[in-house]
Amino acid sequence: MKRIMIDKDRCNGCLNCSLACMAEHNPAGKSIYVLNLTDIRNESRNFIALDRSGKPTPIFCRHCGEPECVIACMSGAMSRDPATGRVTYHPEQCAACFMCVLSCPFGVLKADTAERKVIIKCDFCGERETPRCVENCPNRAIYLIEVSEE
Amino acid sequence: MSELTTCAVCPSADTILSQFIAGLEVETSHHRVESQKVKCGFGLQGVCCRLCTNGPCRITPTSPRGVCGASADTIVARNFLRAVAAGSGCYIHVVENAARNLKALAASHGEIKGPATLDKLAALFGIAAEDPYQKADQVADRVLGDLHRPSYEKMRLVEKLAYGPRLEQWRKLNILPGGAKSEVFDGVVKTSTNLNSDPLDMLLHCLRLGISTGLYGLTLTNLLNDILLGEPVIRQAPVGLRVIDTGFVNIMITGHQHSMFADLQAKLQTEAAASRARAIGAKGFRLIGCTCVGQDLQLRGEHYQTIFAGHAGNNFTSEAVLATGAIDLVVSEFNCTLPGIEPIAAEFMVRMICIDDLAKKANADLFQYDPETVADLSEYIIANAIQSYQKRRSKVNIRLADSHGDDGVVTGVSESSLRDFLGGTWKPLVELIAAGKIKGIAGVVGCSNLTAKGHDVFTVELTKELIQRDIIVLSAGCTSGGLENVGLMSPKAAALAGDNLREVCEALNIPPVLNFGPCLAIGRLELVAAEIAQFLGVDIPQLPLVLSAPQWLEEQALADGAFGLALGLPLHLAIPPAITGSELVTRVLTEDMVGLTGGRLILEDDVIKTADLLEEIIVAKRRGLGLE
Repeated sequence: MKRIMIDKDRCNGCLNCSLACMAEHNPAGKSIYVLNLTDIRNESRNFIALDRSGKPTPIFCRHCGEPECVIACMSGAMSRDPATGRVTYHPEQCAACFMCVLSCPFGVLKADTAERKVIIKCDFCGERETPRCVENCPNRAIYLIEVSEE
Repeated sequence: MSELTTCAVCPSADTILSQFIAGLEVETSHHRVESQKVKCGFGLQGVCCRLCTNGPCRITPTSPRGVCGASADTIVARNFLRAVAAGSGCYIHVVENAARNLKALAASHGEIKGPATLDKLAALFGIAAEDPYQKADQVADRVLGDLHRPSYEKMRLVEKLAYGPRLEQWRKLNILPGGAKSEVFDGVVKTSTNLNSDPLDMLLHCLRLGISTGLYGLTLTNLLNDILLGEPVIRQAPVGLRVIDTGFVNIMITGHQHSMFADLQAKLQTEAAASRARAIGAKGFRLIGCTCVGQDLQLRGEHYQTIFAGHAGNNFTSEAVLATGAIDLVVSEFNCTLPGIEPIAAEFMVRMICIDDLAKKANADLFQYDPETVADLSEYIIANAIQSYQKRRSKVNIRLADSHGDDGVVTGVSESSLRDFLGGTWKPLVELIAAGKIKGIAGVVGCSNLTAKGHDVFTVELTKELIQRDIIVLSAGCTSGGLENVGLMSPKAAALAGDNLREVCEALNIPPVLNFGPCLAIGRLELVAAEIAQFLGVDIPQLPLVLSAPQWLEEQALADGAFGLALGLPLHLAIPPAITGSELVTRVLTEDMVGLTGGRLILEDDVIKTADLLEEIIVAKRRGLGLE
């Protein structure tokens, strides 16, 4: 299975990964040109925070081996596929209790900004071979590696 | 798979060229596309603002305004106007130098190579002088006077140059330009930190810059060059890397300012120059055309047959031209002189001379052009070419591509030569359009880039699609460099046209794609459009005429585009300018513009859909004229 690795030193905070994520998940189409950057319904599943010294720090879903979000979820909306290692969110089962948000050790999960009803969660870009954020990082601050099962 | 090829190069519509480039040992733009393929989304959408130190600010759904409070609309409009102003400035610089050169020619009583154009302009401007040199001097003065006016004083020649109904519309919109240079200045000032924040005002300023760019930078530059260098004459000529003959001292010129080469061309044609070349074992001198100035040389090739070898290719062919090793000197004077040629020139020991500090290349010697000292400049160029030939020829590998390009390209097409070809009137063309033999006209113009599906790929595919639909294509700019090298500008290309257009082309022995030459000649297309509109007694937006700059590249193209919109034409682009981050700016340019000038921007990155759209517009315009 594949994991996104982060090399913080290479990140210069361009936010291209966030834009790529928004474009990939935009219901209006995947082209960057149709992405409405003033519509709060377009949300990125990743973000860049600044650390204490002001250094940009990419924050991405880890698709953890023992995911706290899955453990905390009481409705079964969060599940982990043992074969792919991906942690997936199923909105139809979600009770919007936000326990997953509270329990994520990386602070990566969030409720959607417009409605506060569903969780915004990295889906590893579904069928895409390489997640679009990785593809669009000009500095290779995020990259894919193959990891062994547990 | 990729390991089997020598290196990964971007695809080109010109497959012989891409094979040649793939086999090179030097790096070109075609190689670098891959490593530059990740683009910044904020940049693409135009919502990054770097105007002050609070920034760079970028618009995102959670940060909808910059620190200063500027919205996406304001940021996009500011960035766009800055780009249009810079592009306009480039063309205005070109026409200013052409006018200076005309004035110098008048003062020195040099050869007026295009007396008919001089008389035409003098009559148009209401100049009474009988003496041709006085006439030339006054024509130049009128142009320079307008260029140097303040922005609060309207330019006077606009009224003489613009097509009547357009002039009225522009007056209504209050977009008649003041002094062309001042309009560029104002465009830049408006967009400085926390000055103008009104997107509509800034877009109207873009139209104003479009008019000054179009009428002066484009149209007038051609006409002044016609006086200085001779009027285009329709002829057939070879194009592509095949025009390079190693037996000669080869000088490649790049840029846009043909008038700067008038003296050099005259000197190179002399027996004195030829004998100097023979003295070092060469057959003579040859100018190798490259970029738009090469297109302009080709357009007037009839007058320079002994020294002009032919046009090798557009901007993204120039690195390959240099990498043949057969070029002894590069003389550059303006843009589209890629920085990428510098290391190749060093590798092949090619001397580079820049003659305009506005376009100073890092490893070129600067000999600043001045009409007063042009004879010294020509001597400097000739002497350096000879020296360079002697120094390098025994030390470099030469690698030619004789199969590249095409032989019978039809060139020398201008508003005048085309009208003459048709018997001195637009009637035959209008009749063919009325009868449906030619469905309409598409200007496929502008630049070449390596991203819209590859080098010239969109341009060539779209052109093929249009001619198949019986739409005749007129081309000017780097587009024509691509189209001619793949054979679409030779009479044999008639076979690729639809049945009706094919019949017309075969009867007249013309290609379905007409070669107007450099991007400056977009001004000639405007003259063609205005003359046809006048013949029909309609306004330009009513004509079955569309524009596409599918592979536009740079700021100058945006200024050209602003002219197209001011003329009221539908203008297609395959790559959006950085405007999509603003709904307002995008809507004004793609929809509301129709209500202002009649023009509009069409953004479409699919070839077939583009051709469908352009054909639909042409059919609708035909219906409007009662032709369907």
